[in-house]
Amino acid sequence: MAENGQENSKWGMVVDIDRCTGCNGCVVACQSENNIPINLEEHFNQRRAIQWIRVERYWEGEYPDVKARFIPIMCQHCGNAPCEPVCPVYATYHNNEGLNVQVYNRCIGTRFCANGCPYHVRFFNFWEPQWPDSLKNQLNPDVTVRSRGVMEKCSFCIQRIRRSTRESERDGVELEDGDRGLNPACVNSCPTSALTFGDFNNEDSQVSQMKSDAMSGEHGRGYRLMDNLGTDTNVIYLKKVDDSVGSVHGH
Amino acid sequence: MALTRRQFLTLMGGSAGAAVFFQACGVPEKELLIDSPVEMPEDLVSGTDNWYATVCRQCDTSEGIVVRVMEGRAKKVEGNVDYPVNLGKHGPRCEAGLQSLYHPDRISAPLVRTGPRGSGEYREISWEDAITRLTSQLNELSDSGESDRAVLVTNPVGGHLALVIQSFTESTGMRRFVHEPLETSVLRKAISEVFGQESIPDFDIDNSDYLLSFGADFLSTWISPTRYSRGYGEFRQGHQRQRGRLVHVDSRFSVTAANADEWVRVKPGTEGILALSIIQVISSEGDVDNAVVDSLTGGDISWLNSYAPENVSAETGVTAETIRRISMEFSHSPHPLAIGGGSASAHSNGLAALKAVYSLNHIAGNIGAKGGILLNPDSPLKGISAAAPGNSFYEFQRLTEDMDAGRVKMLLVRGADPYYGLPEVAAFKSRSANIPLIVSFSGMMDDTTSMADLILPENNYLEDWGTDVPLAGVGYQTIGFQQPVVRPFFENRGVNLGTRNFADVLLTAAQVMGKDIGLSGDTYKEIIVNGAKQLYDLGGGSVIASSFEAFWNGILQRGGWWDTKVKGPVSVTPARLDGVPAPVISGNGEFFLQPFASASLLDGRSASLPWMQAMPDPISTATWQTWVEINHRVAEERGIKEGDVIEISSARGTITALAMPNPATPPDTVSVPFGQGHRDAGRYASGRGSNVLAILDAVHDEGTGSLAWSANKVSIRATGDWVRVPKFENTVSEFPRDEHNQIIELTTEIEDNH
Amino acid sequence: MIPGDFQPKRPTTGQLVKLGILGTFGLGIFVAIVLFLTFVLSAWLDRPLIFGDSGFRSGPDQPIAFPHKTHVQELGMDCTFCHRTVQKAAAASVPATGLCMTCHSAVGDGLSEIEKMRSLYEDGRSIQWVRVHRVPDHVRFVHEAHIRYFSESEGIQPSQVCQKCHGDVGKMEKVRQVETLKMGNCVSCHKENAAPTDCTTCHY
Repeated sequence: MAENGQENSKWGMVVDIDRCTGCNGCVVACQSENNIPINLEEHFNQRRAIQWIRVERYWEGEYPDVKARFIPIMCQHCGNAPCEPVCPVYATYHNNEGLNVQVYNRCIGTRFCANGCPYHVRFFNFWEPQWPDSLKNQLNPDVTVRSRGVMEKCSFCIQRIRRSTRESERDGVELEDGDRGLNPACVNSCPTSALTFGDFNNEDSQVSQMKSDAMSGEHGRGYRLMDNLGTDTNVIYLKKVDDSVGSVHGH
Repeated sequence: MALTRRQFLTLMGGSAGAAVFFQACGVPEKELLIDSPVEMPEDLVSGTDNWYATVCRQCDTSEGIVVRVMEGRAKKVEGNVDYPVNLGKHGPRCEAGLQSLYHPDRISAPLVRTGPRGSGEYREISWEDAITRLTSQLNELSDSGESDRAVLVTNPVGGHLALVIQSFTESTGMRRFVHEPLETSVLRKAISEVFGQESIPDFDIDNSDYLLSFGADFLSTWISPTRYSRGYGEFRQGHQRQRGRLVHVDSRFSVTAANADEWVRVKPGTEGILALSIIQVISSEGDVDNAVVDSLTGGDISWLNSYAPENVSAETGVTAETIRRISMEFSHSPHPLAIGGGSASAHSNGLAALKAVYSLNHIAGNIGAKGGILLNPDSPLKGISAAAPGNSFYEFQRLTEDMDAGRVKMLLVRGADPYYGLPEVAAFKSRSANIPLIVSFSGMMDDTTSMADLILPENNYLEDWGTDVPLAGVGYQTIGFQQPVVRPFFENRGVNLGTRNFADVLLTAAQVMGKDIGLSGDTYKEIIVNGAKQLYDLGGGSVIASSFEAFWNGILQRGGWWDTKVKGPVSVTPARLDGVPAPVISGNGEFFLQPFASASLLDGRSASLPWMQAMPDPISTATWQTWVEINHRVAEERGIKEGDVIEISSARGTITALAMPNPATPPDTVSVPFGQGHRDAGRYASGRGSNVLAILDAVHDEGTGSLAWSANKVSIRATGDWVRVPKFENTVSEFPRDEHNQIIELTTEIEDNH
Repeated sequence: MIPGDFQPKRPTTGQLVKLGILGTFGLGIFVAIVLFLTFVLSAWLDRPLIFGDSGFRSGPDQPIAFPHKTHVQELGMDCTFCHRTVQKAAAASVPATGLCMTCHSAVGDGLSEIEKMRSLYEDGRSIQWVRVHRVPDHVRFVHEAHIRYFSESEGIQPSQVCQKCHGDVGKMEKVRQVETLKMGNCVSCHKENAAPTDCTTCHY
């Protein structure tokens, strides 16, 4: 719940590309938390590997004036999501907390939503996820284990949002901004603190302050991915700082 | 009878319908039963989680972690916010620890070999039997005066485990070797000579504003990447500070080079020469304390002048302009910091090179200063310190000669995989055929264990007690405490099967052999508790308690004990520098071979874990295979495309790898990651990829005898085969190119205050 | 052909056999469809006629015939004395046998069910209760939030909240399900109490 009155939270993230080193720690943390199927070699070869959050690497220039940039991309939880209106069974929609949610048991696997997602953050279970029996001990009971035929994507670790909200209400303790039980797994794992999560409806939260600094005026570093599409993402990226002149945007 | 199409479809429809109907009917019976437990502690509420603090052992960083445990099962690893090394952050490899705990190929009981070595044929025996076999062999050797013909090879260990191992080996007379494939001894010796420290000091990257690093891939795999990345985040966009500048000197485009503001590409092995050149420039033109220069040069600066930029430019491949500019930038920054290691140390001139690199900090005068080198104090407990580095490759070669001459009668291996980790030129594997008994303590099959005659599997670190003094110290006294977060996975196999703590096995063996090894307890846990008592008696630190019981609980809750008030020295007299000779490079192939520690597999230790196999390499996004990075123009000229199987031949051997052309690899270099090529390491790693360690030549660092793994030249040949490279890139289609809506937006704006 | 000239041909043996086979198949499929529809419709109406009723009408037989009536109505025990985690966690939890033994180590000698329970306890074996209440797959139901809500809003004891979904278990010899526990149940109660009806309240 947001601090200001009855308003619901609006969960969002700020990703600082200047801090991201491309280590993929967020990727593994997400896989651990969300019972992502193990991506075997054949899955990569079929181009059907599942990573709810991924690190993309962009080259600029070539040897010797070469740079590589890293950007973590997860579901942007768009306010104006292209994936939501196309689901024939209403398995994905925008809930009142600003999250783009995926209801696994409603999904019938038309994959129309993935078709529409411009950020390519939706992944379909083309195969039945399997784990050797002993590895099943590690699976998170708070997260549904999806079966074949169901769409999945980053949920901002909604299970953590639910659990920590509920436990804080049970214990009568207020949930603070930046609470590690509330933060998605990726945010907690990032060694450089490139990822920050919180409630945009709470003016005092770190993300709100970062967002207002970032999106204001000339000195803000904030931007949205493919803003021209008008998706109104809940993820704000902070530009990479590069003081070299005439940097070439490349492949 | 002839079926018409209509009839056929009817039949099919009917049977399909029946199949669905009958399959949909069943709810698995187990979901209709509730097992009520026999006893249930009040604080164990099903469906709620408990987080237990311990120390991660997936790599040598030993981060403090908290593990989420639900109903006795470990579910998630996160960083311990209190633990000084990582302060709540953790790296990707820590997460994979859960897979090592629940790995399907773990060894669940002591094994004795039944078939020939390497056949994988074993049968289970009881612990009693296993320890009897172990101790009777040791006794036999001791009776015939050959105690020193037993050799124990372990990974680098510190804390109380080191104490137990040392006491055991001393009392039994066996020899001890420490093996790490990518040795840190060059780094440790350089630090010891430059700063007078046995452990690695803390690099205050958080507060530095100009970080000059040589070869060390500190953002990805080098020494303590989580701690350095944590500092790097602050270095870039910390509050109330200017953004720092990272200049990375490396012969390869590593992850750190990718994130640097400037990547200075040097020819392999010339990093130290460049460092001396920078020292020369600053000494003659920059702002520096003359006393320091005198100390470093031994009073005579003339030999240093031979390293002037114009003289070294051709050798290093860096223009004199660049050298001067960097020197001036470094000298004029308020908080400069220089670090080095990794490939810079893996040459014949490694020690000399690192001494030069670290002496830059003396030039900067940043010892004990904010943004500089924070030296570590002595450990609060006598005899308990950070892990000592591995024995040098040279020493291992001498060991294999002993093996060949029949002077090794028993080889015991724990936590190390020398069959995998030593290059073929050492002939460790072939010469060990002479050894009558090979014992492994590993809990998983690996190349060495699969050749062992006797296996005494040890617990996974999440099931074990332990202590740890951080290898890369934090600048103040710290001892991490490791505790079991779950019961041993194979506990249900009974007391005489299953796995055991390694130190306890040694202690039991000592008892059986009637040796008093002079430690404070009979079990490892007792020894650790006694160590905690000593800390309690010191009366300070992060845990304040009025009784030892409360103190012990406090330690376990916080994950360790530290005292931020007890810091290291703040000044050191600079030691005299020697010149840095030209590197010795083996082989006369066309390309420099620049192997690198894989971000996921490191030196091969995490290869059995599927999450690590599936974790994309940051630069190439490749997974599950061994690839070779080659410059894309060079590849084009030779008609090499991604996926071509390339044969890479050094002076000592040949491996194959899948070509991955990229725009950043220097045209005269090919890079291959360490980590694959295991003969036997569980289902996810066996027989996969190539082990580049195998083909390295025996080039040694002159100072320490370490393996110079960066010092090879190779020739390449396209075999004509092609294998699709499993990688994550292109799993999703590329974003559209739109210059008004870039995916990565750049800015030259540096915010002053936020 | 002249109308009226039609001579019905006698079916050949082959054709008769084909007819017989197809007829049997058809009959089989018809029977299967009838059974299927019976099952589906009756289960939909919460009165499954075939394939078991999962304890809906009379309650399943349990390995130990634990009588709630004796313990709750006659002895006045509180629900939360045994089902201890209902105010803390998602599951109300069936208590450990050790809890039963706090009284029954002394009480109930000679009663066969008590002896059964004691011997299981001494052997260190768990009791395999037959589940009576089971929400469908993919539902995350959290007892704690509901107990808290109702006990706060209606000012009642937690134990009194249990009756809303489980009925008066204190009167039951054998526990049986009284509410359907289908989504319609949940959603209508949520609507009545201004609780969130967002899908991801329970399905995530």
